[in-house]
Order: sequence, then structure tokens, then C-alpha cells
Amino acid sequence: MPDRDKRRLSDALAGGTSRRGFLARTSGWLLATATGAAALQAGTDDAEAYHFCGHTYTTASCPHPTGIPRVDIHGYPLRQRDGKPIDDLGRPIDHSGHPLDERGRRLTDPDGRPLPRAPRTRICQDQIPDRYGFATQIDGSWYRCCGGTVRRLMDCCGYHQTRINGDTALTGYCYSGRRVFCVMYFQTKVPC
Amino acid sequence: MSATAAILLLTAFVAGVTGAWSPCGFSVVETIGSRRAHLGGRAIAVSCATFALGALVGGAVTFTVLAALGALLGGDGDGALVVAATVALSCAFGELFGVRIVPQIRRQVPEAWRRTMPLSLAVGLYGLLLGLGFTTFVLTLAVWALAGIAVAVGDPLVGLSIGLAFGAGRALPVVLMAPRYATLGQRLEQAMAERPALLRRLRLADGALLAVVAVAFLASGSASAAQRPQLVTADGTDPSRAGSLLAYERTDHGAAVLVDGDAIAQRPADNIAIGGRYIATRLGTALTVQDRRSGATIAQFDAPGATQLAVSDRWLVWRADRRGGGDRLMALPLPVAQAVPAAGVARVVAGAGRRETIDRPALSGDHLAYAATTRGLSAIVIANLATQRRRRVLATRGGQLSQPALDGGRLLYVQSSYCSQRLQVVRTRTLRSPRTLLRIGANAHRDEGHDHGYTTQGSEPSRCPHGTPHRTSALLWTSALAGRTAYVTLLRPGAGDAAPHARIVRIRF
Repeated sequence: MPDRDKRRLSDALAGGTSRRGFLARTSGWLLATATGAAALQAGTDDAEAYHFCGHTYTTASCPHPTGIPRVDIHGYPLRQRDGKPIDDLGRPIDHSGHPLDERGRRLTDPDGRPLPRAPRTRICQDQIPDRYGFATQIDGSWYRCCGGTVRRLMDCCGYHQTRINGDTALTGYCYSGRRVFCVMYFQTKVPC
Repeated sequence: MSATAAILLLTAFVAGVTGAWSPCGFSVVETIGSRRAHLGGRAIAVSCATFALGALVGGAVTFTVLAALGALLGGDGDGALVVAATVALSCAFGELFGVRIVPQIRRQVPEAWRRTMPLSLAVGLYGLLLGLGFTTFVLTLAVWALAGIAVAVGDPLVGLSIGLAFGAGRALPVVLMAPRYATLGQRLEQAMAERPALLRRLRLADGALLAVVAVAFLASGSASAAQRPQLVTADGTDPSRAGSLLAYERTDHGAAVLVDGDAIAQRPADNIAIGGRYIATRLGTALTVQDRRSGATIAQFDAPGATQLAVSDRWLVWRADRRGGGDRLMALPLPVAQAVPAAGVARVVAGAGRRETIDRPALSGDHLAYAATTRGLSAIVIANLATQRRRRVLATRGGQLSQPALDGGRLLYVQSSYCSQRLQVVRTRTLRSPRTLLRIGANAHRDEGHDHGYTTQGSEPSRCPHGTPHRTSALLWTSALAGRTAYVTLLRPGAGDAAPHARIVRIRF
């Protein structure tokens, strides 16, 4: 069953109740569990049909300075390959926000001063509203095992009828009538 | 003059010539030419001259006003090229297929003037009306196309050039035929009147030229588009320019370079800025302001922590470290009453916020431009130091605005994103449709947008647009603006033992 149909079915199952959001989530999880079990039986092919580990629907990534939408626990961008903090221009930065080279050394200008800081904003809470013109926030999450540690899959939610890739928005892990606009993840250090 | 500009002017000229096939065009030739026997050759020559003058003035007025209107509407931007090309191309098709002129203005010049006014005055006014282009019959779609292009490009100088070329085209047939009306004039008039193929060929020429203009707009930019960057120096940073004088600092420190034509001079300085009639330098903690021509010292004082300067006829501004982190800008009014001003004379004009990073300031008269970046926002502010009014003219999240320069009602700045770095210029009055003068890649390494072994579906929002330049380690750094010439430093930052390296390029636009 296509994921969009699954989500619509989960929404439909919960339709007309006074606890619509809760039931929609519950039915969605039940369906996800069922299909997840099916995926386990079928091997890993289904999981690999999506663009990063742990993400099992077709909603696209939130725009990220380096590409793969890895963020820290607060939603600030991190570099996917090593988890280093990056600024909005995608450059690795130190604790005070000054850009670094690939070897972790501060970059300097002709006066010998560190290069100026660029903004570093939260992708869902700051950048999406600024770029797309409506408020978004991180509601719920789901956790999966990816690359040997637990990964938190985060939906960026808003009161918006379409996803970032233009399809009809789904409920996903969003609450209070918000729907998923785009997705990100936070890689924990918990082994799995 | 660029090739695009030349083609555009040729198009305007041919469009003007095509206008001779109008009721008014025929009438003016006959009006002047048929009076030769009564008034003599000298009066005819004067009348031709007044007609030509009127046509030139009329053309200049129309197209300059249209271009000024375009500027008000925020023309002069990247999108203007596409608009101008679209207008040119659609009218080109119309001309090539000989479609009827729509909309058509069905008016003529007042016939009574030839009877009630002296000939030279009457035809001068006729020339004005014909030069205006839209007061009488229009015989080619190229006139509408040129009007659209003038608005889209939004540069009054380009509009003026189009208008003069159009006016010259309108004047040429009259000037050619009227003085020899009895011979050449009547033969040409007959051919024009009885051989419609001539008009058809001219319209084909109009169409072909408009098509070339459209292609040229798309290929190389507008008639006043930015040229390729030219290297100014392979070892320099922080350019500033006043009049014909260019100043910059060498990256090995301790020396500033002043270039005026072929004359090159050096002076010891860690920072230098020129503006108005002054040169400001920093050497260590000492700031000095001197008159450019006389060399007289206007001000000299200690400013610990100063790193960047800007100077105009009325102000000296420098950047200083802010206690507790971040930067601030200090301003000192010029000229100062004493050679060594008290520290209290200067006042803080920017940098109140902690962690606020401020770039090199820029001055134009009383107006100070600076870029301020906090963790959540990057903005360019223009402050009037005389009135202390300030406005945030540009702001962005998810990117960076930096390195502003001000001159002649234009703001030059660098806009950086995770995809590219752009040197852009925009009119300070409208702040719309910035024009990109130079674009290079971003500094960051990008990943594939999807995990290894996974599909690309869903990675689209983070991808950079098609045609984005490749990643570079160079940074668009400090800039300067003088009229329609922009300067920008291309900086390879230092790291550890590796020293920074900078070069300056110039872009005319």
C-alpha cells in the first residue's frame, strides 16, 4: 500500500472522533508497525527506497546547509558526516560561531581576526517560516536504529495543506491539526 | 560600448527610419521640400536642422522618461534582462511575420502649423512630436519593443541613448530627401509610396535586429550589464575609491597602496580608506585623517582596537572591538576643530548588541552603511549620521549579507548562502531587483543530500539550483563602489600557519 494511502487511511480511521489527533497518530503507528514488520520480513529493500536511514515516507528533507537534514536536539544544523555544528552557510564552526577549516582551525581575515560569524538558525523553527511564510515547529518524533546508534526522526509541522515537495501533507508525528511539511533527524549517541 | 548596446542603438535607429513610412513622415518631407523654390536652400537647411533637433529631443525625452519610470519600478535587476528579452522577441516575431501594428496611435501632427508658423519652427515642433514616438502613427512594433526595453532595463542613460538613436533615425529620411526634393526626394517618395516591399524589408530588418537584441540580452546581459571581472591587483584587500584615486592595503601588512592612473604610491598603514577629499589611515592604534590634495593632517588620535575605516567629506568612521564581545562603529565628524580630538568627540553609531559582528563600514556623505550579523539575522543598515536616523535596508535569515559599499544612490553588497556568493548592486531608493555582478560558489562542502545506498527522492529541497558554481575556498570580501564600477576582494582566508591571500577585481556594470 503506498505510504500516502496508508496515511490517509490512518486519518480516515480517526475521522469524526473527538480525539482525532490522538487516534490518527495511534492508527498511523499501528499501520507503521504492521508495515514495518512486513518490511523486516521482506528485508531492507523498502527502507532503502527513501532518502535517508529511518525515514519511511516520501516527505522530503527540510532545506539544510549541507544537504542531509541532520540537526542537534534543538534543531540547529549539524554536518551529516561527523555531527559538527555548521552555520547557515554550511561551514563548520567553533563554539563561538567562527568558521573553521576542515582541520578545525579558525579561518582568519587579512587583519588576522577570525572570519566573521554568519547566522546559525534553527531549520524548522526559524528558516522554514522565513523562507515559506508560515509558522512551523517540531511536534513529535520517532526513533529508529541507524548506523549503530539511535536516530530521532523529527517532523517539521505546520498548519499547511501541502508538503515541501508539493504533495498533500500528512499528519505524521504532528499534533493539533498541524501536518508534516518536511523532515529532519537528530542522531543520538545511544548504541543500538 | 558593448555589442548589445550597439545592436540596441542600431535597432532604435532603424525603427526611427521605418517611421518615415507614416502619414506624418511623408508630410514633413513634402512640407520642407516643396518650399525650396520659395524660401531658398538656406532656409531648407535650417528647417532640416530644426526638424532633426526636434526629433532628437523628442526621442530623448520619451525613452529617458520610460527608463526613469523603469528605475522607479525597480528595474535594473537580473529579471529585467528576461523581461527585456521577452519583449524584444515577441515584437521581433510580429515584425518578421508582418503583423498589424497593435496598438496603433491614429493621430497626426497638426497640419495648421505649416501655415501659421515659420517653417523652421513648425517643422522643429513636428520633429519633436515625431521623435516622441507615441504622438503619431507608429509603423513598426520595434517602437513598442524599445519602449518596453527602456522600462525593463531601467537605466536612464540607456533610455537616452535609445531615444537619440531613434530620433536620428526619424530625422535621416527627412534630412536626406527634403533638400533634394525635386530630384532624389520625389524619386524616393514615389518608391516609398508605391513599393510596399521597402517597408516590408525594413520591418524584417527591425524584426531581425530585435531578435538579435533578445538573444544578446539573454546571452550577455543588458546594454549596461556587468562586464567580466578584471584583476586590479593580485595582492591587496579593502579597496576604496574617490574620484580617480584607488586605495587598498597589501596583504603582507604595513603598506597601503594609492593608485591614480599610472601613478602608484605606497605609505605605511595597516588600514586605509579614501572618501571625499580625505585619506584616513590606521597604523597600529593611531588613526590619521589627511587632506588628499594638500597632505595636511586634519585629525590624528589613538583608537585602540580599531580595524576598519571609512571616510567622507563629513565623517570618519571606524570599527572597534566591543567590550564583552562583538564589534561597534565609532563616528567622528569632520573636519575637527582641533588637530587631536578628545576621545569623547567620537560617538558610537552601531554595535550596541553583544555578539553583533559588524563588517567594514562604508560612507557616502552623511550616509553610513554597515552589515551587522547576529546569531539569528544578517542585515545591512544605512544610517544618516547627521540626523541619526537609520533603517535596516536588507535582512536575511539562512544566509549572510556583508561588505556593503555606497555610491551614487546604489548599494553594493555580498549575499552569501549555502549554495553561492553573489556580489549584488541595488538602488537604495527602491531596494528592489538587485543585479548580480559576480557569482562564485559557496565555501561549504556539500553532501549528496541522501544517505549512501538510499534513493535521491526527498533530497530536492536542499539541492542548489542548476547552474550553481562549484564550491570554492575564496570568499567575496570587502568591496568598493564608484559610479558604475564595483571592486571586490577575493579572499582565501588564513588558517593556522597558512597566511591569508587576497586579490581585488573590478567589475564595470
